[in-house]
Amino acid sequence: MNISISNIFFRDIGRLTIFIALCLCAFIPPSLHAAFSISAETDKQSVEINDSLYLTITVSGDSSSVPEPALPQMNNFNIYSSGRSQNISIINGKIATSVAFTYILTPRFIGKQKIPPISVSNGAEKHITPEIEVNVVKAAAAAQAAQPQNTAPRAQAARQPSARAQAARQPEEMLFMTAETDKKAAYPNEQVNLTIRFYTAVPLTSNPQYVPPTFKNLISEDLPPVKNGETVIKGVRYTYSEIKTALFGIEEGQASINPASVFAQIHQGGAIDPFDPNFFQQFFAMNSGQGETRQVTSNSAALKILPLPEGAPAAFNGAVGNFTFSAEPDRREIKTGEALNLSLAITGKGNLKTLLAPKLPDMPDFKVYDTVNSLNISKDNDIIGGKKVFTTVLIPKTEGRRTIPRINFAFLDPATKTYKELSAGPFELTVEKGDGEGQNVSFAHGGQAALITPISSDIRYVSDKTAAPLTGTAAGRISAMPLWLNLFPVGALLLSLWLARLNDFRLKNPMLFRFRKAHGEARADLAGAADKLKNGRPKEAASILYDSLLAYLYDKSGHKVSGLTMRRTLTLLKEKFPDAGENALNGIKDLWGKLEALHFSPGGATQEEAKDMLETYTALLALLEKEFKKRG
Amino acid sequence: MKTALAAFMKIKLLIVLFLTLSAVTAGAYDRSVLAEYNDLYKNGNYQAALEGYLEIAAKESYNPYAFYNAGNAYFRMNKPGLAILYYGKAFRLDPRDPDIRTNLEFAMKHTGQNFVPEGMPKALHYLYYFFSDRELKAVATVFWWLACLLLSIYALKEAMREKLRGSILGAGLILAGAFFWSAARSSSLFSDAAVVTENSTQLLSGPGETFKTYATLPEARLVKVLDDTDDVYYEIGIPREGIKGWVKKTSAGKI
Repeated sequence: MNISISNIFFRDIGRLTIFIALCLCAFIPPSLHAAFSISAETDKQSVEINDSLYLTITVSGDSSSVPEPALPQMNNFNIYSSGRSQNISIINGKIATSVAFTYILTPRFIGKQKIPPISVSNGAEKHITPEIEVNVVKAAAAAQAAQPQNTAPRAQAARQPSARAQAARQPEEMLFMTAETDKKAAYPNEQVNLTIRFYTAVPLTSNPQYVPPTFKNLISEDLPPVKNGETVIKGVRYTYSEIKTALFGIEEGQASINPASVFAQIHQGGAIDPFDPNFFQQFFAMNSGQGETRQVTSNSAALKILPLPEGAPAAFNGAVGNFTFSAEPDRREIKTGEALNLSLAITGKGNLKTLLAPKLPDMPDFKVYDTVNSLNISKDNDIIGGKKVFTTVLIPKTEGRRTIPRINFAFLDPATKTYKELSAGPFELTVEKGDGEGQNVSFAHGGQAALITPISSDIRYVSDKTAAPLTGTAAGRISAMPLWLNLFPVGALLLSLWLARLNDFRLKNPMLFRFRKAHGEARADLAGAADKLKNGRPKEAASILYDSLLAYLYDKSGHKVSGLTMRRTLTLLKEKFPDAGENALNGIKDLWGKLEALHFSPGGATQEEAKDMLETYTALLALLEKEFKKRG
Repeated sequence: MKTALAAFMKIKLLIVLFLTLSAVTAGAYDRSVLAEYNDLYKNGNYQAALEGYLEIAAKESYNPYAFYNAGNAYFRMNKPGLAILYYGKAFRLDPRDPDIRTNLEFAMKHTGQNFVPEGMPKALHYLYYFFSDRELKAVATVFWWLACLLLSIYALKEAMREKLRGSILGAGLILAGAFFWSAARSSSLFSDAAVVTENSTQLLSGPGETFKTYATLPEARLVKVLDDTDDVYYEIGIPREGIKGWVKKTSAGKI
């Protein structure tokens, strides 16, 4: 695996640029963030029925994790997982990952068999591999003869030593399965090999279908390929298929292996007796593919998962097996703000899949980013092993000579039942002053907010609001008003305009309005004078009547009579109302004189005099209104 | 400057008042009744939930959420035509509700139709449908009354004329705006619109079975109702294709 980071491009980028870049990244569709590709290939185009082939599916992407392929149902092959190989590279802070998923396929039928398209989806995008065609041929007879221990059960066309004896056996004895482990007790994460064998003493019309067992408190790892062979048990020759599985205990306590099953099609008549008179008929019937399906199950098995020995070192984090450990930074000279990769490699035998990264010591001089790992698994000689590399990006904060402290890794060796501790480092680094501040290195799940990956869309859920917004309700009520109601403001407006016009006219013709209002105001004055009289204040009543008469004459004549003589006033009235009778004018003259006398006399008016004046004025007012109307 | 500031404050006050009223909901039926229907919906009993929602909608013709929920139930029952019909009714009552907009857009997209016409900015479309038809009508009514009232005062009180001039102008502008906005909306997709509720609905050349079938309309298609006075048929227009005809009222629902 090659891991390298170049910071050349980002050295001069300021905070603002990074921020803008992150903002722009947020608007890039998720599919572009997590683009990946897929390819699938087999190691051979043609395979014998008793052989197997490797199917490798490679998923490459630009994030630290890529999706796993979903294998479709394949009735024409038995499928066994053979591990994965991961390759991660980091260039300019961007991660490129390539994971090869390997499967072992054993064919079940002769002829052209198809491996259907395999899909891989990360939620946002989906890729599909093309269909692969594999030619499955009969097992070579020579190969069978040369390698009797490596033949498929179907190919073992019953070389039984005693066909009559075989035919006489019970059907359940013709097919059976066994399951056994190489250990009865193991530590957590210590490998235990489970061997499941399927024996048959009768020819099968097709390769059997294997249903693996389920496990409790155990993790399993396939150990392909399937081995085939022949053996004699109690005088009966059996062909067998052997499937091995590596198991790892999860935690202290009991673990169990449930039965495995095989569905096999056998010839309905059982074994063919060559001495049978119907041998040829049975033989051709067998070749024509007729048969019945039988299910065979293995025994269950139990395992004891032992407690870990005491005295585990501080660096122990559950690794069991036999490992070597190394660590190395990818450079020793660096500038502040630049990134270096610290790779911790663990190689050896053990369950590397569950192996955790060794704990890094405190490094206050460095920014420590997420750790990514790559894994290569080997299954040589049925032992799980390989190499796991944990890569951590470190960015020195300050210049000077800086040290990555010693890193420890401890594991339990089950062979010696003792803990072993390995260490690497310390590593001295020369850190120079960088051009800028530390840049951000972003992995898929670190350094920035995780992106939301839309998977599908749907309508929003029902609302629990019980009523319409008030604006809607109010608007509904207002708009529901009858249209004719809207004529009211028009009426009001027209009325206002008329009133305004009237007011304007009045302002322009004040005397006309005074003339019209004169009678009303004089009557109001009469009422006021009567009120004063009633209260025994005749002098005030006489004064009111005097002022009222002058005001009335002013309103009617249009001249301010208080500044005129009586004679002049009467002349003006005569000019304005030529049709008014003499008695009316004499009445004015008479009342004006009496009121003036009372108004200006030192003693004032008596109650009787004032009352008399009130009655006279009332009568005169009625007369004058009548006379003044004669004007025109 | 002061006058401008005062006018701005008045507008701000009006907006705050409007938004507050929008947020406040008028008290309606018991919440537990709705919760019961929503539980039915949650448990997949869409038909029973729908009956409840329709019951509420029948009682409260101005409640957009009853129509919205009914639209959801129809959508779940795989009746996109009726779903769009009810989402459309809800949208016309409360076009600012994000849930209603989203579901109507989703359902339209689901049936190959665009909620926002092609080439129209989404923000402009949002603004175009910011007020419901009723709200526009109510605004026009209120400001009609207000404008008449202010004009009356203006005519009667000479001393106040200077002060009233700005208010009258503002009221007049709002009134004119509401009027023109309503007029512009009359040609919109959801004005006098109907939704085809049955698949392969026949578009006839006249209001009767004896007339020739022009075309068949797919379910959920939005059409324009040109005339709904006939008892049995709608006269409809399909602007995009430029055709018109008659469909049975049982095959389409008016939004």
